[in-house]
Amino acid sequence: MSNFLATSDLSSYLPIFLVTLMAAGFAIANFFITMILGPKRDGKVKGETYESGMVPMGTARKRFNVRFYLIAMVFLVFDVEIIFLYPWATTFPNLAHGDSNAIIWLSRIFFFLLTTVVAYVYGYRKGVFKFD
Amino acid sequence: MMDRLAYLWPEIALFIAACVVMVVGISPSVATRKFAAVVAGLGVVAAGILAWTTTPSGNAVTASSGQVLLPGLALYAKVGIAIVALLLLLLKPGTVDRAEEAAIALGVQKFDALRTNRAEFFSFFLFSVMGLMLVAGADDLIWLFLALELTSLPTYIMVAISGGAGREPAARAQEASVKYFFLGALGAAVFLYGFAMLYGATGSTNLNAIHLSLTTGGVSGLALAGLLMSVLGICFKIAAVPMHFYTPDVYQGASPSVAGFLAFVPKTAGFLSLLLLASAVGWTWAPGENGLTVSGGGTSLPEPLRILFWVIAALTMTIGNVLALQQKSVRRILAYSSIAHSGYMLVGLIAGPGDGSFTKNGVAAVLFYLFCYGVMNVGTFAVLSGLERKTRDGQMSEIDSIEDIRGLCATHPRLGWPMAICSLSLLGFPPLLGFWAKLPLFTSAISAGEIILVIVLGLNSAIAAFYYLRLFGAVFLEKPEAGAGEVTASPFVSRRVAAMVSAALVVALVVVVGQLTDASRKAAAPKAEPAASATIPASMNH
Repeated sequence: MSNFLATSDLSSYLPIFLVTLMAAGFAIANFFITMILGPKRDGKVKGETYESGMVPMGTARKRFNVRFYLIAMVFLVFDVEIIFLYPWATTFPNLAHGDSNAIIWLSRIFFFLLTTVVAYVYGYRKGVFKFD
Repeated sequence: MMDRLAYLWPEIALFIAACVVMVVGISPSVATRKFAAVVAGLGVVAAGILAWTTTPSGNAVTASSGQVLLPGLALYAKVGIAIVALLLLLLKPGTVDRAEEAAIALGVQKFDALRTNRAEFFSFFLFSVMGLMLVAGADDLIWLFLALELTSLPTYIMVAISGGAGREPAARAQEASVKYFFLGALGAAVFLYGFAMLYGATGSTNLNAIHLSLTTGGVSGLALAGLLMSVLGICFKIAAVPMHFYTPDVYQGASPSVAGFLAFVPKTAGFLSLLLLASAVGWTWAPGENGLTVSGGGTSLPEPLRILFWVIAALTMTIGNVLALQQKSVRRILAYSSIAHSGYMLVGLIAGPGDGSFTKNGVAAVLFYLFCYGVMNVGTFAVLSGLERKTRDGQMSEIDSIEDIRGLCATHPRLGWPMAICSLSLLGFPPLLGFWAKLPLFTSAISAGEIILVIVLGLNSAIAAFYYLRLFGAVFLEKPEAGAGEVTASPFVSRRVAAMVSAALVVALVVVVGQLTDASRKAAAPKAEPAASATIPASMNH
């Protein structure tokens, strides 16, 4: 039997709150401090878009082929594949030799690889790699 | 580790089917392409058989392999889902790519894999059903969240691409999809926030452990806030007030075959997760001193949660039914009726498991109602998708107005009779299936002492009679309109088959209603030993 409105221990969330406050305070403070303390010198070159030292040219609002969007989607398939393969590959050798789980681990990752192959085949048949 | 896999064979079958559909559905050959729907059907059948044979239930479920609060839930829900999903799949052929396929058959247009939607449509169907089955097997808040999203995300796209080739219906479907998506994202954010607070209050995402923490430590203010927000967010999935506003617009904008899907799949996902959350809290709370609720000895949910469900149930029933009265569009009537049915089912959720016998068990009543609602609702949407008329730009589109179904029993008896039977069943007209589904909701709520809610439920059934009888009267009694020749039967036979099968089941399942209620009672039965003995699983690192 316990009281329904048992006191919830919100004080354990205090550090998180403090860190959030510090982060916001740091950002806001810096913003105003640089406004007050920073020297202000303007020039034509300084007003240009910073492009890693290169002289910028043309407009950024260029049209590009919608197919890049599909390429990005296919890239995502392999990206996700790597994310799952990497931890698997680093933990698989840790299994003891002759461990009965080894075959399960191996078949699971092969099943996963098979699903990414399906995604690739789907993309291929959809014509993602055809440029004409 | 392997014991967890025993839950997932049906989902794996659906997943493999979805992969095959995705490749088969974009084949340049018409015959192969059309095979995609068959593959999807085989996947659902295989999932149903696997769910029947491999899903552990009762005492076979351990705290490390699943939730032990309602250990029979997964088996019952997955088999029921597979049966209704098969009916829903019958509505699907011809929903996408219809004009393209016709143009290709005439040789006007060449097949372009990039512009077809068939593969995506059927594989999203399978993914969504897979998500629903995962909800049924959830034992963890993170699992539950991911499964709910897997159920919902494909439906947004299915709504968007279901509009067909006509400019007007396509635009309406896209508008519906955007509305549905943004409100769905809002709902998901709200219940995810609730889950996070629940985790903060109980220290675990595992439902067994949450149950243990809440029943031994009491419901803290934070846990209560988490529960209330979770319920509010999930109200979006079940289309309950105050998250119901999207329902009529989305059901009207989407094609009826997809609207029928929306009326069953996300709603069932929402109810299953509400049942899981409510059973994690437990119906064991009794009124204590100072109006607070204490654990143990009682038979209801904690008072604030009970009041929340009470108000949502009463409002959902009443608003759904009253607004349905004013509609002229059959799709909107069915959307408001879907809202009202959510309200009915919430009554069972409030009543709780009682003493375990079927007439007093509200949880079993909800589970039984979900299955019956799925079967009879498919019928009405199948009739709508089985009829069509020309839009202004010459494309065929499914009917919407109640004028279009006048005298259907005379003009298209194979669609008219299913509409008549299913609308009477939705009304709860004895001796059809809907009556047997509604009865335990009443009896369980009476035995739980919710007399006022039972009166509201009874009044609402009377209000609902008005518009269901209007549907029935339109197809059965009225004469066809003068311009009724414009309404033609859809060339996709499977939709008619779905309507007839659904109506046949509404009549035929009454014979086995005893076995069905027994199955749902078993699904709602707690584990033989008390669930509180479940320890916090050491196997969180699966």
